[in-house]
Amino acid sequence: MITQKLNDQITRIGPGTDAGAVHRMYWQPAALTDELDADPLLPVNLLGERLVLMRGADGALVLAQREASADEPPAHHPAREDIRLVQGGATYPVVEKNGICFAYLGDGTPPAFPNFDCFRAPDTHVFAFKGLWECNWLQALEIGIDPSHASFLHRFLEDEDPADSYGKQFRDKAANTDMPMTQVLRDYPRPDIEVDETEFGLKITALRHMANDLTHVRVTNQIFPSAICIPMSREMIITQWHVPIDDENCYWYTMFTSFDKPVNKELMRAQRLKEHRLPDYAPLKNRANDYHYDPEEQASLTYTGMGLDINVHDQWAVESMGAIQDRTREHLGRGDAAIIRYRLLLRRAIKAVQTGKLDRLPMQDRQETPQIIGPLSNDAIADSDDWLAASVAADMERRRAAPWDATV
Amino acid sequence: MTDTPPTDAPPEAWVRIAATSDLAGKRPVIPVTAHGHKLVLFRDEEGQLGLIGRYCPHRGADLCFGRHENNGIRCPFHGWHFDRTGQCTEQPAEPEDSTMYKAIRQPSFPVTQRGEEILAWFAATAPATLEEVTE
Repeated sequence: MITQKLNDQITRIGPGTDAGAVHRMYWQPAALTDELDADPLLPVNLLGERLVLMRGADGALVLAQREASADEPPAHHPAREDIRLVQGGATYPVVEKNGICFAYLGDGTPPAFPNFDCFRAPDTHVFAFKGLWECNWLQALEIGIDPSHASFLHRFLEDEDPADSYGKQFRDKAANTDMPMTQVLRDYPRPDIEVDETEFGLKITALRHMANDLTHVRVTNQIFPSAICIPMSREMIITQWHVPIDDENCYWYTMFTSFDKPVNKELMRAQRLKEHRLPDYAPLKNRANDYHYDPEEQASLTYTGMGLDINVHDQWAVESMGAIQDRTREHLGRGDAAIIRYRLLLRRAIKAVQTGKLDRLPMQDRQETPQIIGPLSNDAIADSDDWLAASVAADMERRRAAPWDATV
Repeated sequence: MTDTPPTDAPPEAWVRIAATSDLAGKRPVIPVTAHGHKLVLFRDEEGQLGLIGRYCPHRGADLCFGRHENNGIRCPFHGWHFDRTGQCTEQPAEPEDSTMYKAIRQPSFPVTQRGEEILAWFAATAPATLEEVTE
């Protein structure tokens, strides 16, 4: 449990807020390249600001402030002819990377980009998509640094054929076994969780001790301030930001990065467009229709009764907490170790910004940040006394075989 | 979400919160909002009623979508299980040696049924005998 004052401090992100000042020290996903047309004038709602993505006089993308009424809905997309720029308003730089337009809403020189796999891989090997969640960004991030929820929230009471798994989370075989990942998660629900601070945020290791003295090792990462990097299948990883629209709404932006074949973008886009509406990328299953909850399915097939798409399970979990989770009533356990550690990082960053010690923030050094590579993000199964080496070896093998330079 | 205490004191009386027919389906679990409390009402496998806080005390997920099993209600987020008194009975994602669940108890209210009505007692005093039902 934390105080209401602290909960406000770590969740609210508008101009002039403590957590908002931390977010404004980093590049933020602002739009998908998919959303741009030949002469873009694209509404962007980011960090409590009403903006528009357009091309400046030099042809470069830029974010500019637009006029908006106070009662405009959070993810509103006004028609092109209704967009009015704020005269003399702020403009922010934009950089396009593998399908996502990143913007820097802070003062001074923007930081460098780290050389993560999602930025380093060629465009053919990265697919980007986004979706709207109607809740505060922090609870959206916290579900991503919570390795134990996958054993429950995403539990399938029966396993699918991993051959039908392309482009979906947790449907592949686990590491070098014939066991579907869904079975590992179901059979071993009490992971030991280790959390290590890194140059980019946190490395989170979930250890599931299996029969025959084997251990399943799942390494995921928190990338400061609002992203995660996690394995999706043996072929792909997910790098996902939870970007505040305002205090009570956020977008997830995901870069799916393949270490093997070029990404089948048409298939992955079609899988996801079927579940979302445009232009605001709001999911078709949502609070208003109870996420298509079916009690009979909950009794027989899935843990939630909300279908097979794990994004919907996560969306339900974080939206059901309310617009901003009331952390004065929470009871965190040992399974929440990474959440607890992350909040300490965030509070330390808030303090660093308040006291002007910006060099204490992760990834602010313009020389060192471009040299940050990886991160290691994978599943492996190994003899229990050898899990660390096995985890690294599995990642190295995948990187060596990659058709692009994925060496670390 | 907050289980906000009411600003006005609740009546010292049994209050109708639902009809027995509301729990007639295969999965007898429904949301109830009364006197400022957001609650989940369910019938367990012994046929007894439970009226407990709606939001899981772990991270606040909505127990109205909980799994109706093991003589109680289970949060789909991490499997925390609650009986009809609001007592947490299992935390299946926590380490085997954890006893944290023993210290976790959801708010709960006396609940009973009379005829086709389900009644709850929200006052701080001991519940009255059932003849004193108010409409």
